[in-house]
Amino acid sequence: MPGKIRKTPLIEAGRDYLALGLEGSANKFGAGIMKHPKDGAATVLSNIRHTYITPPGEGFQPRDTALHHREWALKIINDCLAKAGVSMHEIDCICFTKGPGMGAPLQSVVLVARTLSLLFNKPLVGVNHCVGHIEMGREITGAQNPVVLYVSGGNTQVIAYSRQCYRIFGETLDIAVGNCLDRFARIINLSNDPSPGYNIEQEAKKGKRLLSLPYATKGMDVSLSGILSAVEAYTLDKRFHVQEGAEDKDLITPQDLCFSLQETVFAMLVEITERAMAHIGSKEVLIVGGVGSNERLQQMMGIMAQERQGQVFATDERFCIDNGIMIAQAGLLSYRMGYETPLAKSTCTQRFRTDEVHVTWRA
Amino acid sequence: MTFSLSQNLIQSSLPISQGAEAKVYKAQLTSGSPPILLKYRFQKKYRHPTLDANLTRSRIAGEARALLKCLRSGVNVPGIRMVDATEGILGIQWIEGQSVRKLLPGGAEDDGADNVDSPDVEDSDPLTEYGVSVDEVMNLIGNEIAKMHRVDVIHGDLTTSNMMLRHPKSFVPFNPNVTTELVLIDFGLSYQSTLTEDKAVDLYVLERAFSSTHPDSEPMFAKVLIAYAETIGKDWVAIKNRLDDVRLRGRKRSMVG
Repeated sequence: MPGKIRKTPLIEAGRDYLALGLEGSANKFGAGIMKHPKDGAATVLSNIRHTYITPPGEGFQPRDTALHHREWALKIINDCLAKAGVSMHEIDCICFTKGPGMGAPLQSVVLVARTLSLLFNKPLVGVNHCVGHIEMGREITGAQNPVVLYVSGGNTQVIAYSRQCYRIFGETLDIAVGNCLDRFARIINLSNDPSPGYNIEQEAKKGKRLLSLPYATKGMDVSLSGILSAVEAYTLDKRFHVQEGAEDKDLITPQDLCFSLQETVFAMLVEITERAMAHIGSKEVLIVGGVGSNERLQQMMGIMAQERQGQVFATDERFCIDNGIMIAQAGLLSYRMGYETPLAKSTCTQRFRTDEVHVTWRA
Repeated sequence: MTFSLSQNLIQSSLPISQGAEAKVYKAQLTSGSPPILLKYRFQKKYRHPTLDANLTRSRIAGEARALLKCLRSGVNVPGIRMVDATEGILGIQWIEGQSVRKLLPGGAEDDGADNVDSPDVEDSDPLTEYGVSVDEVMNLIGNEIAKMHRVDVIHGDLTTSNMMLRHPKSFVPFNPNVTTELVLIDFGLSYQSTLTEDKAVDLYVLERAFSSTHPDSEPMFAKVLIAYAETIGKDWVAIKNRLDDVRLRGRKRSMVG
């Protein structure tokens, strides 16, 4: 295990704590209510999300996404409170995503958070999105001190905890893995419903042929943009045929490309995760982030962990994909350590690295 | 027949550990011969078999090539004893000693999974057994890496786990004042390159490994760089400038100021 499992500096909850978490750093608006009861175990009271889905071949633009969040925010927060059966007056703090993410959507959510804070006179807690993912993953899976692979549309990082900081061991040097998959989905015109990554995964299951793509690990880091270009180049190849079930051996189908793309990039991710595990001597690995709900990635990680007599922890789409409850969880942890974001500083930022956060609630 | 020979050798060897890439065994080629270390890149089941076979073959060959180049140029690395690229087996000289990570402050604490609540028990400094100080080790590290970079070998995975100090009893130095020797190991991700960029990234990988394993490592790593600069000579300015650039990489960094 990396380090010893020390006692948490978190003071035992003398009463029940309730936090509202608001998330909207990308194309999902999410709200969730987290309860930390007196006796310990955290409870998810409600966790609701709405996704802004664009037509096939299009990505989500910041401006339209922000508009989506503004339109849905109040409805979702109301639903969230109703489902949890609590009123705004009972909430201890309002947690919001400070960053990283897309500027416009972040701003529309922080505006909602600020307004609620002033209306109900509740303190604000700004949360790092990545730390939210990690804390929620730890809470749900019970992993004590895992190596974390955080893979989503905006982030690709291998993280390990050390001395009150989530240190980044390896990361992508260019685009995020989710971005790579999503953009390829756009190239071959896959639907964005429920998510482009999910549809790539379904297509990949039908693919058989492994086409050669660059394998780009650099130190502990990976580079993905070149792989996207390479796989895109195959779609311009003379052998590329869109219709399914072509038996001709020499044809390249979109399914083959999805399959090859997944196999290659996931192998790279699993490899750098394994290197981080070997380096710090950990046997646990936790996968978080939207791409973490990909079953092939979970499967590959599982095989790797098994070969090392380790264990893999993954969550399902409710907690993997961006959601409000993870912001509530990470926010409530820091709130209980005495952290609040004053109104004047309740800004958001597109650039906010995982390792900038002082993790006071862990020893 | 190579198949059964290499596999037989593995069967009769003593497993030591499992790294990220390979299983490591202690073996003897013939009875009575000095021990060798076998690195077995077993099949990674998570990878597609074709992808896996290609990677394994090219990495074993690359590792052997890099070791050979280092050996010819006087960089301290283990000597090659056997190569079986299709099976993924590489046999190298056995080095008696300890990894630098275990010898530096903070590096050994990972092994304490079972003594959960006990305070850190500080034994005497493990380095005294090797007759060197922390500063001298940093000096050796910088020096060895520079020698390697001078012949355009890029290690690709420089960490303190991938360096060893020879045990003073295990070798006879040319210079009687020298008690130990730093040996670079695990060239599994190495390649050859003349580019400043690649050398700078190599150093950056080491810098990050230092800061993630050894607390308050900044002054230690600074000493590595001083020794590196001395040995590498005139190329240092270019590498240093590039290293500063590389440090700024990574996404979502604050761009203020």
